Amino acid sequence: MPAGPNRREVLAAGGAALGWFLIGGSRVWATPADAASAGFSPQVLGKEQVQALASIGEALVPGATQAGLAAFVDNQLEAGSESKLMAKYVGVPVEQQTDFYRLSLDAVGLALQKNTADEVLAAMAADAVPGWNGPPASYVMFLLRADALDVVYGTQAGFAQLGIPYSAHILPEANW
Amino acid sequence: MTTPAPDTIIVGAGAAGLTLAARLAEAGEQVLVLEVGPQRSVKDMISSQIWARQLKWSGPPVEESGTHPVGHAFNAGAGTGGSAAHHYGVWLRLHPGDFSVASDHGKSLDWPISYRDVQPYYDRVQEQVGISGDSEAEIWRPPGSPYPMPPLPVFSQARVLARGFAATGRRTAPLPLAINSVPRHGRAACQYDGWCDAGCPIGALANPLVTSLPRALAAGVTIMHEAQALRILRDPNKPNRVTGVEYHHQGVPRQLMAQRVIVAAFTVQSTRLLLNSASEDRPAPGNQHDQLGRYLTTHPAGTVFGLFEQETLPHQGVSGGQLLCHDDYKDKASPGGFGSSQWMIANAIKPNDLLGYGTSRADISGKQLRPWLMKAARHLANMTLVTEDLSLPDNRITLSDSRDPAGMPLAHTHHDIADVSAQRWQQRIDEGLDIFRAAGATDVWHGPRVAMHIMGGTVMGRDDTLSVTDSFGRVHDTDNLYVSGPSLFPSSGAVNPTFTLTALAERQADHMLGLALAAAATPSPGDDPTL
Ligand SMILES: Cc1cc2nc3c(=O)[nH]c(=O)nc-3n(C[C@H](O)[C@H](O)[C@H](O)COP(=O)(O)OP(=O)(O)OC[C@H]3O[C@@H](n4cnc5c(N)ncnc54)[C@H](O)[C@@H]3O)c2cc1C
Ligand code: SF4
Repeated sequence: MPAGPNRREVLAAGGAALGWFLIGGSRVWATPADAASAGFSPQVLGKEQVQALASIGEALVPGATQAGLAAFVDNQLEAGSESKLMAKYVGVPVEQQTDFYRLSLDAVGLALQKNTADEVLAAMAADAVPGWNGPPASYVMFLLRADALDVVYGTQAGFAQLGIPYSAHILPEANW
Repeated sequence: MTTPAPDTIIVGAGAAGLTLAARLAEAGEQVLVLEVGPQRSVKDMISSQIWARQLKWSGPPVEESGTHPVGHAFNAGAGTGGSAAHHYGVWLRLHPGDFSVASDHGKSLDWPISYRDVQPYYDRVQEQVGISGDSEAEIWRPPGSPYPMPPLPVFSQARVLARGFAATGRRTAPLPLAINSVPRHGRAACQYDGWCDAGCPIGALANPLVTSLPRALAAGVTIMHEAQALRILRDPNKPNRVTGVEYHHQGVPRQLMAQRVIVAAFTVQSTRLLLNSASEDRPAPGNQHDQLGRYLTTHPAGTVFGLFEQETLPHQGVSGGQLLCHDDYKDKASPGGFGSSQWMIANAIKPNDLLGYGTSRADISGKQLRPWLMKAARHLANMTLVTEDLSLPDNRITLSDSRDPAGMPLAHTHHDIADVSAQRWQQRIDEGLDIFRAAGATDVWHGPRVAMHIMGGTVMGRDDTLSVTDSFGRVHDTDNLYVSGPSLFPSSGAVNPTFTLTALAERQADHMLGLALAAAATPSPGDDPTL
């Protein structure tokens, strides 16, 4: 565990942070959105996997790139058994999450080389991506869409965009 | 440092375990609880569907197979309070007919006790924990004392859906919830913000952290967290007695002795622990007749969604729902399948997460998504179906060949859904879509068939060749080993299990303390004498 303020100290300081990201060679406590815009270095996913995730995530849920989808997923994969990805309770055991995402994003990346993101999504929905070599494409699409919904709409900012009150009992560490 | 031997070791600090811990300690016993998950307090209940996931099971994975897997990762939790730490507080009684499904219909199993045996405990727990509801409006309600609190208010989503129930000749009543509609016993009233899935830190919802845990701690119960029970220890000289528990704590296997052991680790893990307690010369406790792990059940469930012109404001209310319909509960054998069913109507819902409206429509993405979500945020309604499962011997929890880091074999669950149950589910979902149309929905759809709650595996029964425990949860071939929790249920009914398992835990405590409530419920006027 890297040294630094603990979660409670961050909360007490009023910080809106989520996790540790490697930005410019240093570990920084930041929101995924801030980490993404500062050009974070992924710790689990490869650069091409991050690129594939950003492209497909943005096509699924516009705003996902800016909200830091790739940084969020990478950070949660790094958290291992503490992962808060939805995959945790829809049948992807935490031990297998990293491989699941890597394989899935490799397959998405390959498909994106020959097609637009919208074409890839249509094919994924029908489990009909030519040459797909990963977990079932429609399942992958469901989970990536859920992750993108998490970062864009599962947050205080996201609720505000939809015009609904967040009304937290205890505020989460990040705006989202 | 050695831990002094307690009178009772309880495995699992969840709904059942903490109820028993409080009762036994209040009666003067030394009680130690082993809990595999981390220590939690209400301060960990962060209002976010993302953060809510930290309350889920994060122990060794469960291998699952069958046509309707039980969904352990979704349905189980770990840490102080167990799965119940973030349950939704829908507290319903089983109906009398749920106790005699085999005798009445030649299917599933009978319970070794009847509704009348459990009724006094439902009444007692209801008074202690507090339930909000309207016992008169709930016309299907089995006999029992009236709810101690008035029902929670009904918001626009529920009012819109009630129209559809009325238009199709169905009745609704306020959903009974173990959530304070008014301040009670030092606990606050609900604020109707729909964060129950993330846990209710203000204590309005009766999760164990604000009900049984404070009682248990005040009575001197010790809870050892991050302590995984591995095996029940047997007395080498007395085949009927267990002597304690082997557990894994801080990377080291240890042993602890006690006069009595209670396994309350939720259905799959309780069964796994018993199965792992077999030795070369002895079958696992309760498995003399190869019954351990059998009759695994889960409620086939699903959600119906719709959009309305009228504002529904579905963020208001509580996650469990606002209204109830049990019109289809009593007649298990009605045409179209088999089994009881219920609707929990107008659940408070968020945009993201598995149960959110955003994930309910995988077909909407890209530019269409935001306008659709904005509409849904104000005009969507939803309701949840719960149907009965059949208890089948081959739906079973077994041990896998793979092991966890502590060396304990993983659990494997196999669960197939019976055709008649699948038919019943589809029938009710189709009816749900019609109810939404009758309520004026402009667009209707439903989610997949999912598994809600996990029961069976260590079922209670009169015949020790066909069950694992007696009606007090005492494992048949032992004197001092008990199981508590929904793994005891011989049949699933179609109501949420926590009220029943808490009532059963109270009954077990009375039995262990020699206080067996001999008096069966006194019949009240209007009771059906044949129940
Ligand atoms: C999202 C959600 C909503 C729900 N809503 C409702 C509802 O509205 N109404 C309702 O009736 N029910 C509801 N439930 C179900 C309810 O939570 C369970 O029925 C109930 O918690 C079961 O109680 P239990 O004591 O058997 O298990 P739990 O409460 O899960 O407690 C078992 C404990 O045992 C521990 N354990 C497991 N293995 C070991 C081991 N080897 N060693 C030590 N400790 C161990 C676990 O970590 C856990 O803390 C809901 C569940 C979920 C997940
Ligand atoms: S809606 Fe009520 S019960 Fe649910 S978390 Fe909020 S205050 Fe608690």
